[in-house]
Amino acid sequence: MSWRDAAVLAARSVRRRPGRTGLTILAVALASALLTALLTISGTAETRVLDELAKGGPLAGIRVAAAEPDPGQVDRDDARPGRDKLLDDVALNRMRRLPLVRTVVPVVSARLFVTEPQRRSDGHPLRPFLARAVGVDLRRAPSLPVSILTGRLPGANSTDEVAVTPGWLERLHLTRAQAQRVVGDEVQVAAGRLFDEGDGQEVRGRWVRLRVVGVVAQEAGDGELLLPIGQVRAARRWTLAGAGQSRRLGVDPSPYNGAFVVAEGIDNVSRVRAQITAIGYSTSAPENLIASVRRYLRVVEIVLTAIGAIALVIAAIGITNALLAAVRERKREIGVLKAIGARDRDVLRVFLLEAGVVGLAGGILGTAVGWLIARIVGQTVNRYLVGEGLAGVRLVLPLPVIAGGIIGSALLALVAGTVPAWRAARLPAREAVGS
Amino acid sequence: MGAVSVRGLTHRYTTRSGSITVLDDLALEVGDGEFLALVGASGSGKTTLLALLGGLERPQTGTVRVLGEELDSLSGDGLARFRSRTVGFVFQHFGLLDSLTAGENVELACTLGGRPAAARRRRARELLERLGVGDRAGHRPVELSGGERQRVAIARALANEPRLVLADEPTGNLDRGSSLTVADVLRRLPDEHACTVVLVTHDLELAARADRRLLLDNGRLAPAISSGPAAPVGTGTGA
Repeated sequence: MSWRDAAVLAARSVRRRPGRTGLTILAVALASALLTALLTISGTAETRVLDELAKGGPLAGIRVAAAEPDPGQVDRDDARPGRDKLLDDVALNRMRRLPLVRTVVPVVSARLFVTEPQRRSDGHPLRPFLARAVGVDLRRAPSLPVSILTGRLPGANSTDEVAVTPGWLERLHLTRAQAQRVVGDEVQVAAGRLFDEGDGQEVRGRWVRLRVVGVVAQEAGDGELLLPIGQVRAARRWTLAGAGQSRRLGVDPSPYNGAFVVAEGIDNVSRVRAQITAIGYSTSAPENLIASVRRYLRVVEIVLTAIGAIALVIAAIGITNALLAAVRERKREIGVLKAIGARDRDVLRVFLLEAGVVGLAGGILGTAVGWLIARIVGQTVNRYLVGEGLAGVRLVLPLPVIAGGIIGSALLALVAGTVPAWRAARLPAREAVGS
Repeated sequence: MGAVSVRGLTHRYTTRSGSITVLDDLALEVGDGEFLALVGASGSGKTTLLALLGGLERPQTGTVRVLGEELDSLSGDGLARFRSRTVGFVFQHFGLLDSLTAGENVELACTLGGRPAAARRRRARELLERLGVGDRAGHRPVELSGGERQRVAIARALANEPRLVLADEPTGNLDRGSSLTVADVLRRLPDEHACTVVLVTHDLELAARADRRLLLDNGRLAPAISSGPAAPVGTGTGA
């Protein structure tokens, strides 16, 4: 008897006992659902916690300041930078060529005059003020420590879009939960330039009208505005082309105000930081904090996995019990199978496949239900987080959890079915005519 | 050479209250193409003898030779192959798998007999047609009458063209009409399918249709008194 023939026989046999089969599948499905839900939720929680620590950026991200390293600070997560130092393309290219560096994203900032044509909620117009705008290559947003609270990021090449930070909300006396209110607002910004006018100098601005398209959860450095890098560089160029001391208008002489370097995995962050320090720049990264938090999260994950595994073991016992009962009930049928020529291994195959079918069905059902439970929990958590003005969680069902839920359940069922299947295979053919 | 040759066959069962000898130094010769009926009281060892002839059980003492093959010398797989290709069983309880249709039950036997997939369905249909249950091929056993089930069971027994058909009380669960139909079918098997039939029954009317009737008593065989139309009564030899 081929595996295919045995599978057909097993499937028919499973269908013949819908009640018992259904209950056994349900037991496996419940266990599998529990394991899937626990692992998905714990995995998402871990991602969320680490995301918070990494401020929405990659865990292996390193902030590089346009400053020399302070020798006493090099190993600290939040190292204080030393003296200012120019950060230019030469330096960035050296960083890009370092081993274990995945990407280098430069950061440019400039101080801009800002007025808001719309009125505040209390009816008063917003007083013009100076705000720092941070410009980055937004095509590489996933590599940056930025997460969206509401709306979206500006287009990478847009000239009329801006994202604002929670600092902007505070300026408007809005809470994070009210972030949606500012999306769609129009603001006018201007880079200043000093002009010689008679005996003194005068500041003139190059005004641009921007539309707020989103609110990011983190402060963009000390800035309130997040813009495509092209806009901020244009503003810098405008300011630097002016007369006298441009620095008075908040423009640093360094071409870049910083960079965000992503290492090849969190385990390489230390080495990359050391290499950047050797080049002569100050770095900071929450590597120590992330490492210790990850250790705690691992313990939580182990505990949750153990709970799910216990459920699976209980389900496996259920499968064994159901199959043992089936073997007892089907002694004569097994005897008949042997009487018409089935070998021991044919009977073994049929019973193992029956167990496998039950496990597979339970695994598929359980994984789907587990994912559903995780989604419901995720939505509840999201409602709470958004209500608190925090970035929500993005539920991800990892492939290993799907594979573990389905294949693991089937394998577990096969293991659980081994003893009953062996017993069935060893039953004498004489059972066909009674013992 | 006969189809079946049994020599010095002794078989005992051990129970809590002691050992029971069901077959005692039994000898039996069955000719090729013969229709033999074994009769005897309940517990006389008829079914045990049938199980030993069909390779469902191994002899404890003595030899069982079927079509020249000594069953005790066969391995487990060898016995399985013997049961699938050389012997066909017909049980009192029909022994059909409830989860399969009548046709699939016959096809399963073809599968175990190593028939190619394409030939299985053709063979099953052919046998069911020949036994008058072709129109029931797609029905499950629970949807069939007792007589139909037994005819399906006979079709299954014939799936791999066995040289020996062993029937254990084939009419035991049937009404009179069905019993007669099944009896007719069994009676025709040696001629139509070129096989030897050994039948165990309480039904003396059915036994009367056999070429030869033997009485199993106290673990030994003896010629049985014919209750039906005259047929050549052979000699069973208790040793």
